[in-house]
Amino acid sequence: MTQTHDHDHTPIQASSGVNEFEVLEMAVRELAIEKGLFSAEDHRRFSEWAESIGPSGGSKLVAKAWVDPDFKARLLADGTEACKEVGIDWLDPTGTGTPSDYTYFYVLENTPQVHNVIVCTLCSCYPRPVLGMSPDWYRTPHYRRRLVRWPREVLAEFGLHFGPDVEVRVHDSNQKSRFMVMPMRPEGTDGWTEEQLAAIVTRDTMIGVALPQVDWTATAPPSQVGS
Amino acid sequence: MKRTFEVGDRVTVKNATSMFHTRTQAFTRGKTGVVVEFRPDWVIPEDEAWGRDTVERGGREEPFYVVRFKQKDLWPNYTGFDVDTLETEVAQRWLEPAKED
Amino acid sequence: MSSSEGFDEIEYRVGNLAPVLRTPLDSPYEISNQLFAALRHVLHDVGGQPDLPQPYLEKVEEEWEMNTYITCECLGWRGVWNSEERRRAENDLGATLYFGLPYYARWATVAAKVLINTGRITPDELSAKIDEVRARLEKKSA
Repeated sequence: MTQTHDHDHTPIQASSGVNEFEVLEMAVRELAIEKGLFSAEDHRRFSEWAESIGPSGGSKLVAKAWVDPDFKARLLADGTEACKEVGIDWLDPTGTGTPSDYTYFYVLENTPQVHNVIVCTLCSCYPRPVLGMSPDWYRTPHYRRRLVRWPREVLAEFGLHFGPDVEVRVHDSNQKSRFMVMPMRPEGTDGWTEEQLAAIVTRDTMIGVALPQVDWTATAPPSQVGS
Repeated sequence: MKRTFEVGDRVTVKNATSMFHTRTQAFTRGKTGVVVEFRPDWVIPEDEAWGRDTVERGGREEPFYVVRFKQKDLWPNYTGFDVDTLETEVAQRWLEPAKED
Repeated sequence: MSSSEGFDEIEYRVGNLAPVLRTPLDSPYEISNQLFAALRHVLHDVGGQPDLPQPYLEKVEEEWEMNTYITCECLGWRGVWNSEERRRAENDLGATLYFGLPYYARWATVAAKVLINTGRITPDELSAKIDEVRARLEKKSA
């Protein structure tokens, strides 16, 4: 289960009330710009891209795959290329991809026999272009330690339980590949539009720690989507 | 570089001593799994981490593989079910053919 | 204590009451091969290490955290370092800083370090800039 913090989380404060980490980052950025290592415009452009990414990208991919079997096949065969069909280019914003996310994107299809779940034990590699910034818990040594060895315990803590006939397959993304889970389309969604379907594909369902629910979305129930 | 393993090959992760940097996890060392997919030829992280991140800069490029392990082979007293697996990516230099029991 | 939260709290206290004889490491004359192997272990390789269940927390990125991420990526974009150099730099900080610092504070620290290590800035330039920025922010918040 996740707990929402809002902005209660107080950053570490020096006695003067100034955040020393903020000081450090600004110092690095200003020196880098002064020395011509990158430009303020570079920072602004990357910032714009970082603000634009989020889980809705991944949701669109999944919803489209659910309604269009040919797209689903393309998505599973070449994730990076298929992303372009929903307006996501893994080469953005630099033209050669981001330094930390690279350009090797693979979608992992859940089936009745296989449940996929993702972790990066070594750092916190995450498919930012399609899911946005990673959740805080995903980056903790705690999640990195436990998911690979006690996956069913961790999934149970997120509310998921699978029987002995379901293969829980953990993907430790330790190299350049970036992964996203394609959850199974739940019962009770016949005739839904792509938009309605995308609304129930939350970030956690694409990491593999949740399953889509017909009566729950990140923001609103499906009947209110598109109205 | 020539690919030495095929999809379906059983492979064992070598247990070379690592110092300072590695992306071959300790929990895979000496463990045997099966190659399930190819990845592209990439510069190895042991070179990238010291700035040799392209062939021109002296980075060694080689085939990578997706290796699938049975969880019960990876962990002592694995608490999940026999059917569970873990997949991760391994550079060719870290793999050797599985020793037949 | 009747609440389940109170139970955890008291049980951790009980668990930590056991006598412990600690021998801190302070540049010892000799250590066992096993301890050397443990000290040699590449820090970020934590998969499968024992750990206890903890709450999975959500946290919106603060502005300085987003800026840190973007600054680090811009340094990668413009060729100052690549991401694997950044990750190794985080390991090279050592266990105290690696596990002591918040996630993005680690990023900010190694970003400062790479600028010095590659000779693009000097340590005194960094000090001066940090002091200048701090003074500027202090004035703003006053």
